[in-house]
Amino acid sequence: MTDKDSLKTQKLIVGVFSVLFVVILMIIAGVEMKQSVSPSPIIEISGLNKRCVDCHTSKGIAVKAIDHWKQSMHAEQNISCIDCHTAEETDFDAFFCPESDIRVAKHPTPKDCAECHEKEVVEFTESKHAHQFWLIKNADRSVFEFPIGTRHGCEQCHSVSTMWPDGSVGECDACHAKHSFSKAVARQPETCGECHLGPDHPHIEIYLESKHGNIFRATEKDIDLNFKSDDHDQIPIDIPVCTTCHMDSDGQQPMTHNVSARLAWESQAPWSFRTVWEEEKLGDWKMKRGRMESVCKSCHSPDFVGVYLLTADLVNLQYNEMRRQFVYWTKKLTASGIISRLELDGKYYSDPVLNGWDEVPEDMMYKAWHHEGRRFRHGAIMMGADYTQWHGVWELQEDLGKMITWAAEKGDAEAKRWVDSNHPGKWIPFALYDIPGNAWGINSHINTTPFVYNNYPDYWERVYKNVEKAHKEGLLTDDQWELWLGRYNNKDHYLGTKYTEQNDSLYKHYQDLDKKDTEAFKKQAVELELPGESFWKY
Amino acid sequence: MKKNIKEWFLKRVPVDVENTSKVMSEIMLKEPIPSHMKHWYYALGAAPLILFIIQVVTGILLTFYYIPSTEMAFESVRYITEEVRMGFYIRGLHRWGSNLMVITIFLHMLRVFFTRGYRKPRELNWVLGVVILFVTLTLCFTGYSMVYNQLSYWAATVGTNMIKEIPLIGLPMLELLRGGTEVTGNTLTRFFNLHIGFLPTILLVLLALHIIMVRVHGVSKLEGREDDEKTYPFYPEHFYHTLIIGLFILSVLSALTVILPPGLGEAANPSVTPNHIKPEWYFYGIYSLLKFIPIKLGIYLITIFVLIGTFFPFIDDYLRTKLPKVKVHYIFGILSAVLFLFFTVFEMFSN
Repeated sequence: MTDKDSLKTQKLIVGVFSVLFVVILMIIAGVEMKQSVSPSPIIEISGLNKRCVDCHTSKGIAVKAIDHWKQSMHAEQNISCIDCHTAEETDFDAFFCPESDIRVAKHPTPKDCAECHEKEVVEFTESKHAHQFWLIKNADRSVFEFPIGTRHGCEQCHSVSTMWPDGSVGECDACHAKHSFSKAVARQPETCGECHLGPDHPHIEIYLESKHGNIFRATEKDIDLNFKSDDHDQIPIDIPVCTTCHMDSDGQQPMTHNVSARLAWESQAPWSFRTVWEEEKLGDWKMKRGRMESVCKSCHSPDFVGVYLLTADLVNLQYNEMRRQFVYWTKKLTASGIISRLELDGKYYSDPVLNGWDEVPEDMMYKAWHHEGRRFRHGAIMMGADYTQWHGVWELQEDLGKMITWAAEKGDAEAKRWVDSNHPGKWIPFALYDIPGNAWGINSHINTTPFVYNNYPDYWERVYKNVEKAHKEGLLTDDQWELWLGRYNNKDHYLGTKYTEQNDSLYKHYQDLDKKDTEAFKKQAVELELPGESFWKY
Repeated sequence: MKKNIKEWFLKRVPVDVENTSKVMSEIMLKEPIPSHMKHWYYALGAAPLILFIIQVVTGILLTFYYIPSTEMAFESVRYITEEVRMGFYIRGLHRWGSNLMVITIFLHMLRVFFTRGYRKPRELNWVLGVVILFVTLTLCFTGYSMVYNQLSYWAATVGTNMIKEIPLIGLPMLELLRGGTEVTGNTLTRFFNLHIGFLPTILLVLLALHIIMVRVHGVSKLEGREDDEKTYPFYPEHFYHTLIIGLFILSVLSALTVILPPGLGEAANPSVTPNHIKPEWYFYGIYSLLKFIPIKLGIYLITIFVLIGTFFPFIDDYLRTKLPKVKVHYIFGILSAVLFLFFTVFEMFSN
């Protein structure tokens, strides 16, 4: 080899290895650096699990389930297929995988999850998510909603309380979607909204209508819901999702899978009542409310929280007084034989105070509880103004009116008198609760107009007696009564009437603007006569 | 005025300016550089030096905020990364700087090795270079551990565990380094001390010696062309050459920091051992090898390999007299480089 050749070889070797080192090591360093930002989990699959994964992958069966599992904490912790799908011979869901000799459990139940997540499963079992109320409480709905109609309906959502043959209750993957079992997915409001939506309990809609939901939507790209809330000494996200208030730790209390632990009202029930659910374990409703208030106070002032929740509580109590009317009329109409229950061989298939379906008052009664009655109450407690108002109390009143009108048409004299009356008070055939002012601020003119304020000098005395009674009955706490009294004794301030005079000129300004609007619509719409002839004459 | 200041100063620092600057210009500026150094990949010796300077500057800035305690280490790194203005950039330069420093040292070694730049009389400078490599790797290791996240905590635990395997002094050394039997706050302060004080000082001295040796011997010419290879003075061409490399490195570092900034990971938790512990990528080769063979055997093999590598100039010299036709350095060099790359890549993919 000449010197020249030797130098060429040398140059080649130095060049090749320099390039190799730079390219390969820079790529490795880059990959490392990228992983340092979001370390991708390292999944090890071995033994029996490798057989499952390899076979499923090669046959293309449930491969996405495997992909989802690979994203899970389970995969990271080396908890694989057979750890959850393990089966004893006598298990109700045991079967032999057709391609192997492996005995597999078809559907892991909360009993399997409890092997590792016992605390969570116990908490869940003690929550109303696990309760069988929809089977116990209702009349036989199959009369109205035949079984195939409910398979993918009621049964899908209520699978959250499945009572398995192995004695366990629940369905963990209702929220922790399999097979990633992600905390982030479970916390996503839409996960709750899979079931908590629609006319009967539009919770996701109420949430999205509220400031909470609005800010969540606006900022969600920066919000990481994948956290273990017990690891934090305060709520780690800046805007609440459903679980923040109902489940997560706020630093003062531990995270819980018992969604009933912070609920002070049974406001989904036909009558609102203070919760007694698992009182021995969870404490009374005041204790439960205390837990919820603690979360509220992570963001809101105690005064706001107090007034907001007291107002919502009064809405729940008010609903009962409205419902009393519906019950009064359906009972009366049933007793007088104007409406009747569904019956076969001496067994009733409907209930005049719950559901009936085939007569107008029964339909009104059902909706007044199950649809608008819930919307009225749930909207009020979760900042869903439109659901409290238009989808709530407005429809309740409308249905009450329709019901009494229907009774009048059928000849009920009392109902007829109601229909014939032109007294404005006919729309309030029940006692009222109220609170001077609201949680939002002092509005100087808003309380100058209500009919009840202007026509009943003893209005606040009547209300006082009702609120006092609710307090005495233990439906409001002492603190709430004190808060109410504070407002009652300073009504002029909270109602804003104290400030009416000083804002009269401001109010007049808007009245003038309104006059202009009225003139405009009169001119542009009301008084407009078209020259072309119409196609029907009365 | 200017003259007065100069006189005032020279009275107080009596230096023979003229002679000194003449000597300095001979050493610094007129140093003859062999013409093969005009090729870029023959000229990477300055790159680690430039990176060392960057590491010192960014390192000093990082110490303004870094707190070496178990409670605050991770939090202070998070603070630097997420809250201090340009903190992520300085930390990124420092982290990437360490990576590039290792890579450029490798490149420099490849060139010196394959051109047999270590040949007589420059053997000792090769040995010095190998020591520089190990000091640099130790700096990388201590620096990485100081982030105090899960990965770095457990890498520190596993990494220091290897010291235990050294016969007799292994265990006392391990305890001295860790400040106890486990990796704790004591380890963190010790590593911090080593990382910002002892090791950089040692490295500075070694680098100075390394460069002095180069200057004393002169830059080595290509083998076989010692007599006819032309030279050119260090200044201006090679000086600017080096400057361009420096600016290029800074640009690459900035780009890398912006595109792939170092993350934080999870805060260290001594009570939770992660399923997968892995060191920084430059230790992948060793880490991977130790998975295949018993740890004691592995450590002995690596020690033997390192000893051969360190004293290779002498071994090579000896073998050339015995086997004049065999290019031993090519065989040893290519084998080492290929094995290193293989195990490093293998370890990455085995993750």
